[in-house]
Amino acid sequence: MKAPRFLAVTRRIFLDLKNDKRTLALIFIAPIFAMFVFGLAFSGEVKDVRVEVVNLDKGAPGPVPGTTVSIPEKVLSNIDDETLDLHDEADLDAAIQRVKDGDAYAAIEFPEGLTAGVMAQMQGQPGAGQAEVKLYLDQSNVNVANAVVQELNQALLETSKEAGIEPPVTVDSIAIYGKGAKFIDFFVPGIMSFVVFMLTTLLTLMSFVGERTSGTLVRMLATPLRERDIVMGYAVTFSIIGIVQSSILLAIGILVFDIIIVGNVLLALLVIALLAVVSQALGILLSSMARRESQVIQFFPFIILPVFLLAGIFWPLEAIPSWLRPFSYLVPPTYSVQACRAVMLKGWGISQIWVDIVALLAFAAVFLSLATASLKVRKG
Amino acid sequence: MGDGDRYSIETRGLTKRYGKFTAVDGFDLRVEPGEVYGLLGPNGAGKTTTIKMLCGLLRMTNGEARLLGESVPDKKISSRLGYMPQETALYEGLTAHQNIAFYGRVFGLTRTQINDRERQLLEFVDLTRWRDELVQNLSGGMKHRVSLACALIHQPPLLFLDEPTVGVDPELRASFWEYFDELKAGGVTILITTHYMDEASHCDRVGFMRSGRLIAEGTPQEILREAGASSLEDAFLALSREADRR
Ligand SMILES: Nc1ncnc2c1ncn2[C@@H]1O[C@H](COP(=O)(O)OP(=O)(O)OP(=O)(O)O)[C@@H](O)[C@H]1O
Ligand SMILES: [Mg+2]
Repeated sequence: MKAPRFLAVTRRIFLDLKNDKRTLALIFIAPIFAMFVFGLAFSGEVKDVRVEVVNLDKGAPGPVPGTTVSIPEKVLSNIDDETLDLHDEADLDAAIQRVKDGDAYAAIEFPEGLTAGVMAQMQGQPGAGQAEVKLYLDQSNVNVANAVVQELNQALLETSKEAGIEPPVTVDSIAIYGKGAKFIDFFVPGIMSFVVFMLTTLLTLMSFVGERTSGTLVRMLATPLRERDIVMGYAVTFSIIGIVQSSILLAIGILVFDIIIVGNVLLALLVIALLAVVSQALGILLSSMARRESQVIQFFPFIILPVFLLAGIFWPLEAIPSWLRPFSYLVPPTYSVQACRAVMLKGWGISQIWVDIVALLAFAAVFLSLATASLKVRKG
Repeated sequence: MGDGDRYSIETRGLTKRYGKFTAVDGFDLRVEPGEVYGLLGPNGAGKTTTIKMLCGLLRMTNGEARLLGESVPDKKISSRLGYMPQETALYEGLTAHQNIAFYGRVFGLTRTQINDRERQLLEFVDLTRWRDELVQNLSGGMKHRVSLACALIHQPPLLFLDEPTVGVDPELRASFWEYFDELKAGGVTILITTHYMDEASHCDRVGFMRSGRLIAEGTPQEILREAGASSLEDAFLALSREADRR
């Protein structure tokens, strides 16, 4: 049996990559690099935030005679010292100055008579006002500020619970999907699509501009190879590369970041292979717009930015302004990100992600035909 | 067109226009099987454009053409054509062997066929020693030789060679022509373009193209006689001057 002709093209591209150590490194090291950089940087946990503590409260006699109770001390003991780096400061003004100078993100003030006030309130004494802890906060860094507020509220809630005060209503969340999921679990399916889309598009674009400028494209078209064979040869090559890249990402995700995968990994890889086919067709299409290899660099922002912003890789689609969201559905990686997340985190099967697969197939059909047509146009 | 198998190449009114500019202008060409036909003419005369139209790489604006009895463009014929483009058109990041083997596979040859043919071809273009060198490390003339080997790997009965000897040293050029004679003896038809007049005199027939038109055609001897010149070089200068006058 004779191998189909397009496999000659596939084989040739692989040989080219094998000889070109730098591109080879890009293909295999870039996913690893991206995984560590984004995986570590975007892990989403704020740590070691310096906070000044000004405790003006002197405590109050406890229920057992001879003991003293201090609410501030109890609250502070409930603060996670990995998140907040607490420093005692006697003078409130000095503490606020630290925040102003940028040496600390916040100052917590426990006012004088706090414990006494709270005790009075609990005993139902008339005239006892609402107890207040003041937080002087540098809100210019939103993430950090939120983390401080959240940590302090959490600590107060726990302190009240310890004192036997239960809030009247509580929320009990039961995970239907993604029990114990961290940001990285959400992120890995996204970065798979991002890396494969980006590298496939750029590599095809570059090698195809090369084919055009060196005359090898014309030369191939003088052989029995048809336009569609050439596109096919590239598509097969890059879906294989895409699967290998994704497998590397998955392996790092599992071994280093201990990600949760509840679904069928092969299904996720199939989705990625489809994305690679779409991406390489896009690369071929774009190559007809570049005259020289050096012009390829000008395409980078137009390829990367929309996908970076719109595809839901780093943040959910819901976090994209609603007027922009329709554009999300015009970038192919949106569908693969969605599908891979559903498969890996929710364990969904093909019967549930078929919409995404159909969307990717439609993109593939359109882009492949356009890429093939773009090769025919050149006959002038 | 007449009896299709009489000619290996037969064109009638072959025309290529780019907008208002006419690159090839009603070109009639007949090349018999086993003939070596030299297409000559100054830069921009339309030689490359003609070859590209025949190989199905450019759409013809007008006219018709038959190759080996088949009307073109027709993809079916491509496996029987050998095309060596004017530019080197090789994968610089692949070795000479990998380039040649790629075209072998494209033409559906088996591994043994490729290896046998390649060994012969590398010997002929004198590159056996450079077989596993990356093309980017070869000299300009060497690249041309690899490119020629790529065009010959599938032993096509009809060859289009667009300036195959540019940058090739005289000794090797002479051996190229010996090889072309060998191919011709085996019944291969060759359309070749060149700017070297000593090569033109090797051809069975030459055609002189100017501004997309064929202005003279015949055996080298006929051309000399017609122009009353002692060398082809002088003959073409005379023909050009005459064409300018008209
Ligand atoms: N895509 C194009 N658009 C416009 N004009 C073109 C195009 N391609 C070729 N031409 C013109 O067609 C003419 C014929 O070009 P061609 O390459 O066939 O010449 P040639 O005889 O092969 O010359 P050379 O000896 O330099 O190789 C030239 O004047 C060239 O400028
Ligand atoms: Mg030319």
